[in-house]
Amino acid sequence: MSGGTSPIFGNLNWNVTPYTDAFQHPDSSTIIGAGAASVLVLGAIAGLALLTYMRWWGPLYRNWLTSPDAKKIGIMYIALALVMLTRGIIEGFVMRAHQATALGTLSAQESGLVAPDHFAELFSTHGTIMIFFVAMPLLIGLINFVMTQQLGARDMAFPVLNQVSLGLTAAGAALVMISLLVGQFGTGGWTMYPPYTGKIFSPGEGVDYWLWAILISGMGSTLTGMNFAVTIFKHRAPGMHLMRMPLFCWTSLCVAIMLIYAMPALTVSSAMLALDRYADFHFFTNASGGNMMNYANIFWMFGHPEVYILILPAFGVFSEISSTFSGKRLYGYTSLVIASMSIAVISFTVWLHHFFTMGQSAGVNIAFGIATMIIGIPTGVKIYDWMATMWRGRVRITAPIVYLTGFFLLFVIGGLSGIILANPSIDYQVHNSTFLVAHFHNVIIPGVLYGMLAGIHYWFPKAFGFRLSETWGRRTALLFVGGFVFTFMPLYVLGLMGMPRRSPTFQNPDFMPWMYLAAFGGVLMMCALASLVWTFWASYRNRVALAVPGGDPWNGSTLEWSTPAPVPEWTFPCIPQVSARHDWGERKRAGDPWKGPAAYTDIEMPANTVHGLLIAIAAFALGFAMVWHIWWLAIISILAIPGIVVIRGLRVIEPRIIPAAEVAEADRRFRRLVENLPPATRADEETERNRGVPDITEFAG
Amino acid sequence: MTKPNTGELDPQDSAASEIKSYAVGFVASLLLTVGAFAALLADLPTTWKVVLICVAAVLQIVTHLRNFLHLSFAGGESEEDMLLVLFSVSLLAIMAGGTWYIMSDLAGRMH
Amino acid sequence: MSENTLYPGLNLGETHGEAHEQAESIVFGFWVFLMSDLIIFGILFASYASYLDPIGMAGGPGPKDLFDIKSVALQTGFLLFGGIAYAGVSLALKYEQGRAKLIAWLLVCAVLGAGFVVFEVKDFVTQAGKGGIPQASGWLSSYWTLVGLHGFHVCCGILWILTMIVQIATRGVDDTVKVRLSMLGVFWHFLDLIWVGIFSLVFLVPLA
Repeated sequence: MSGGTSPIFGNLNWNVTPYTDAFQHPDSSTIIGAGAASVLVLGAIAGLALLTYMRWWGPLYRNWLTSPDAKKIGIMYIALALVMLTRGIIEGFVMRAHQATALGTLSAQESGLVAPDHFAELFSTHGTIMIFFVAMPLLIGLINFVMTQQLGARDMAFPVLNQVSLGLTAAGAALVMISLLVGQFGTGGWTMYPPYTGKIFSPGEGVDYWLWAILISGMGSTLTGMNFAVTIFKHRAPGMHLMRMPLFCWTSLCVAIMLIYAMPALTVSSAMLALDRYADFHFFTNASGGNMMNYANIFWMFGHPEVYILILPAFGVFSEISSTFSGKRLYGYTSLVIASMSIAVISFTVWLHHFFTMGQSAGVNIAFGIATMIIGIPTGVKIYDWMATMWRGRVRITAPIVYLTGFFLLFVIGGLSGIILANPSIDYQVHNSTFLVAHFHNVIIPGVLYGMLAGIHYWFPKAFGFRLSETWGRRTALLFVGGFVFTFMPLYVLGLMGMPRRSPTFQNPDFMPWMYLAAFGGVLMMCALASLVWTFWASYRNRVALAVPGGDPWNGSTLEWSTPAPVPEWTFPCIPQVSARHDWGERKRAGDPWKGPAAYTDIEMPANTVHGLLIAIAAFALGFAMVWHIWWLAIISILAIPGIVVIRGLRVIEPRIIPAAEVAEADRRFRRLVENLPPATRADEETERNRGVPDITEFAG
Repeated sequence: MTKPNTGELDPQDSAASEIKSYAVGFVASLLLTVGAFAALLADLPTTWKVVLICVAAVLQIVTHLRNFLHLSFAGGESEEDMLLVLFSVSLLAIMAGGTWYIMSDLAGRMH
Repeated sequence: MSENTLYPGLNLGETHGEAHEQAESIVFGFWVFLMSDLIIFGILFASYASYLDPIGMAGGPGPKDLFDIKSVALQTGFLLFGGIAYAGVSLALKYEQGRAKLIAWLLVCAVLGAGFVVFEVKDFVTQAGKGGIPQASGWLSSYWTLVGLHGFHVCCGILWILTMIVQIATRGVDDTVKVRLSMLGVFWHFLDLIWVGIFSLVFLVPLA
């Protein structure tokens, strides 16, 4: 930025908004930038106006922002992720549109919709958002919502800490969002490798936005991992042995372990880069004994387990839905548990395959190449287990099953291209090409995105009391499958033709047919996004017909289906006594699963608190102040965070007590309702006759 | 320490044994620290010095874990923590050892 | 050690009832958090080792120019005695020897910790005076970050001790305070452990 540093506003001045650029040099690139900022501003204004008009401020604050309930926190994580997903997909579309118009000539090399710097910002924010603020909140949110219910726990081990984690994630996301309007984001890709991202080559605020978003949200993820682990180890319902946990809980445990041990590496590499940029340290500079290769090393020590942090919850979801919608017991439970845990541990031994070409000797490359190929084995085991689960089952083609089928077909291709890349000598040929881009989208979209959307579709009724429209759900799923195939399959070809990734321009006309195909895929992805939004809207409008107050719309076998939909804040009127692996299913087999508990007791719930919100505000202020060098604000917020914690520590905090009578009344009402609802058979599952009470004689899971 | 046949806690007995455990740990740590510094100042080949210092460090860490942090394989919670620590140490060994392996190989090829 | 040992540095014992059970998941969670912290230190140790060569020192001052072995020994002493002093806190807590004794032992820990910090800062100042600032080389950057992070942890520990003293004085030794004191114990001993690694690998090995 031009101008000096002001003591009050730091480096902020009126030149930082994209509007200034659009006025000074109006072209397609700056107009897109200003347009994106306008969407953010208008979206924010529309949101605030809606909240005010509907008088939702009070309920939002009381029921959501201050709630330490893991289920609500989970829903908020997912809402955050879906907002960020919208931005991520639009950015992806703009990049496809740009490359479809980016054919330059030797004399006029630059071409296309956006300027090269703007393109670099796009792929940097797209990657950062999709990994850290879409995939992570989606899976953490889903785990928050589902895991406690599946374990038979009342809440997380540390509910307030959970709130703080959400706050930190949201503060990071807000930093990335505000970079649309105030200043610019970094151009170093989602990995932000130095020395390019050092102060010499990237002097502006862009890299700092990334650094603080990552440092703040990374801290939140570490704390989440710890929370998950303690919940799983210490807060299971009585009788819920580890080997009785549903598979989604097992994969959550793997995620927890990886978050605990992998996130610190990201914190270290980002903190080192921040020290380099802010305090002239020499961790990664070219001069004075710095070594930028250490950044790649530490970053990927986080980055590879991260890949499995993303994919394992999706594997958990697929384990649940393949069994439920096939009406069969999950095949090979033990092998799936072993495979998940093996993946979690082996994922810590493969990180070097992200930088095979950095210059280490062949022996090192081979060691990590072999480890990489080994990790394919447990993944293969899982695919066979799910196929065996569906084999000869009575499979209902619901939206989650469409996602699962898409996953089977596409993820295996992505996995195979991964095995190809695991061979260092092949990697030397195709690294840094769009082949790699195609590969990781090929595992992340069919894996993570399909898995999470399938999970949202599957558990949505539990959260809101009505099913999502199956018709629109299937349309969305098919559009995502088609969109993926058209967008990324051409990139394999382009990569093999020699096109480098992250190219703002190219001069080879042979690329163009494939570029057009990929751009068409981008259009399909936008349609899929619109269809996803429409699924929610159409189902909301039709919520009375889709309501499933009985709470078990899919004839499930795990504990979360034993409660009403929407699930009450206390989840279980009495903590259930678990006696089998698929406890709810076994109770169905024994007949009369909805029998109420003999007696009710008072329930102790953590009291609502504004703690997480305050920490989130302070963390956001800290990040923003550091990005813009507003030192006074940085000092205030960095003192505020421990201050808030200490003040809370000094107070005696009483839990909220829900009297037994209230619980008993609500629970008895639910049980009478279930008795009066007609049971729905499998054939009726998608019709209005499905009121959430299945025909238990049909249960075969 | 429990009283024989009753299973009840005997405060005095237990306190004495715990103080003893802390004292043993303290003396051992002190000796190992002094040993490490002595190894540095002694007239030994560098390799020997490094080995002695590292061995003393590992022993001292084990002492701290056992006598101050009360980790053991005795079952129950302390065993759970012990397993947690061992798991963490093995992952740390992979990460730190891997870093050393990769970075020293890279450094070796730059000379 | 006895079968009723639940938690490190704590050993509240079954006579403490609810606090004993509460401690189970909270202190376990704190252990998990510390393991995450351990990874941070571990990576910094590995980085320190990778910068510990002539290229990493980039012609700047090296270990033999900067390290004062006597001061390191003194700091080690402070931390070791500070760690063992926490045994007093743990025992006073477990056997309910009263608030005064608890606060007294906590103060001993805080003073010894502060002694450590004073000598560490003095070392940092001397080293900076000799040109050993973190901006001088990659090796010095990693040295300052690793040792500084440990020092920062000790400062946090002291601050934590002080807030615990205030809590004991104002709210008394209730269950929450007992659990927090046991977490603090784990933290305080953990800092000792990291320091063993630091004085051995950061200071002694390069001088050997």
